[in-house]
Amino acid sequence: MKRQRIFAFVKIQLKSLIKVPTALFVILILPVALILIFGFAFGSIYVEDYGWTGQDGYLFEFMVPGFIAISGLFMAIPVALSFSEDREQGMLKRINTTPTTAAEFIVSHIISNMFMAIIQVAIIFILAFLIGGMRNITPVGILLSFVIMIIFTLSTIGFGLITATVSKSAKAAGGIVWIFLLPQQLLASNLYPLPPETQIVTMFMPLYYASDSLSLLFFAVELTNLRIWWDLLILVAFSLVLIIAGILLFKKYGRA
Amino acid sequence: MSKSEKLEGSNNEIIFGSDNPNAIEVIDLTKIFTGKKVIEEVRAVDGISFSVNKGEIFGLLGPNGAGKTTTINILVGLLNQTEGNAFVGGYNVKKNLNKIKELIGVCPQQASVYQYLNAKENIELFGNLHLVKKEVINERMEKFLDLLGLTKAANRSAKKYSGGMLRQLNLIVALISDPPILFLDEPTVGMDARVRRATWEFINSLKETNKTVVLTTHYIEEAEALCDRVAIIDFGKLVALGPPKELIEKHNTKDLEEVFLKITGRRIMEGI
Repeated sequence: MKRQRIFAFVKIQLKSLIKVPTALFVILILPVALILIFGFAFGSIYVEDYGWTGQDGYLFEFMVPGFIAISGLFMAIPVALSFSEDREQGMLKRINTTPTTAAEFIVSHIISNMFMAIIQVAIIFILAFLIGGMRNITPVGILLSFVIMIIFTLSTIGFGLITATVSKSAKAAGGIVWIFLLPQQLLASNLYPLPPETQIVTMFMPLYYASDSLSLLFFAVELTNLRIWWDLLILVAFSLVLIIAGILLFKKYGRA
Repeated sequence: MSKSEKLEGSNNEIIFGSDNPNAIEVIDLTKIFTGKKVIEEVRAVDGISFSVNKGEIFGLLGPNGAGKTTTINILVGLLNQTEGNAFVGGYNVKKNLNKIKELIGVCPQQASVYQYLNAKENIELFGNLHLVKKEVINERMEKFLDLLGLTKAANRSAKKYSGGMLRQLNLIVALISDPPILFLDEPTVGMDARVRRATWEFINSLKETNKTVVLTTHYIEEAEALCDRVAIIDFGKLVALGPPKELIEKHNTKDLEEVFLKITGRRIMEGI
């Protein structure tokens, strides 16, 4: 693998963040909007006033981990669109006629998306801190949150690649990606309490493990709590399976 | 023993040494498409053989669907042949594709550049993919942009380019690594007459740098103006091969179009 090629791709993929409206909206504008809207709407409501018993804190504080996880999940949209568009516009074929290897191309996407995830989480943290949505999290918890989101990004790239593989066009990819996103967003985001029966479904959703571990960190649960590490372990497993499945499927069926 | 067998038996490594005049050798090449979506098998390339000399501009001429792009796609490694052999720069396309990719520049039929990037960013990207040094990329970029009259638009996003400008950028991207072998697949489609003429001059100037160019086109005048030799393909078969003037004289016709008409009974433009 040649660094010059990987950095060249990373550079243009990061430029797409500024130059492609969809990427800019999904990666930056949407999470900022969510935090600001929900922050100002629920930032002064106590959970007990809202009817949640046995909990202490503002409603918004319970939402922030979910927003971070959902924002990471939404990164599957630009990934699916960019791979589909590259294929539609003949870019994948053209790149395939250069000495670039498939590994260099995929690794560059992983690096740039992880970098975008770091930027995204940092922005959400700053805004949430200013609005008062992260009073309890420790510095180690913040650090671990970044690690969780970087790992989670791998699974979103996997979702993006699988979407690009099964979609015939970028337009179709923009719709199909929601098959992966919507159920996770509704059932596994930890934004609101759900009946325990839904846990059977959420067990198969990587978003659940990201949002659950983030929620624990946001409420300063001791790092010795095994649930955090169990969540992280399952998340790593999910992410590896999804990214490998995504790469293999896209290589076999998605590049033509 | 056929020529194909001889080449197969030579271990398929570098079969053309520096004294070999051929940059490309195509032997009994066949491509049959038999995907699930194709009800009947399609013989897109049907046992064609030809060679391209080093430093020559070689035209693949024929109507749409004749097999020109399929042949090029096999030579650049985007498709696998069903039968036959092909060697680019002395390397077997089936076994030494990585070596071939270091030798070639490809200008695809579809103007394939990142629309959200400007010309400079697109050119720089492909220079980097070929591991060209930054200062060399810049030097070549300035030269090519100037030669094709794109300097003023170099910092403008490609999505704001006209069709002709996109095609020119498409060509520059293929040239940035200074490849000894160039594949230009219908490089002037969609260009107006003025831009097409300028592009012809540019492609002609490549002869001075001793590049081997394989050009597909269905513009007769383009093939006549640029190519040292042409191969006329129809329904995947090679129907004529030679220098344009020689083919015209041999068939006692006015131009290559008439050569094609005489051999196949139809016009090249009919298939378009």
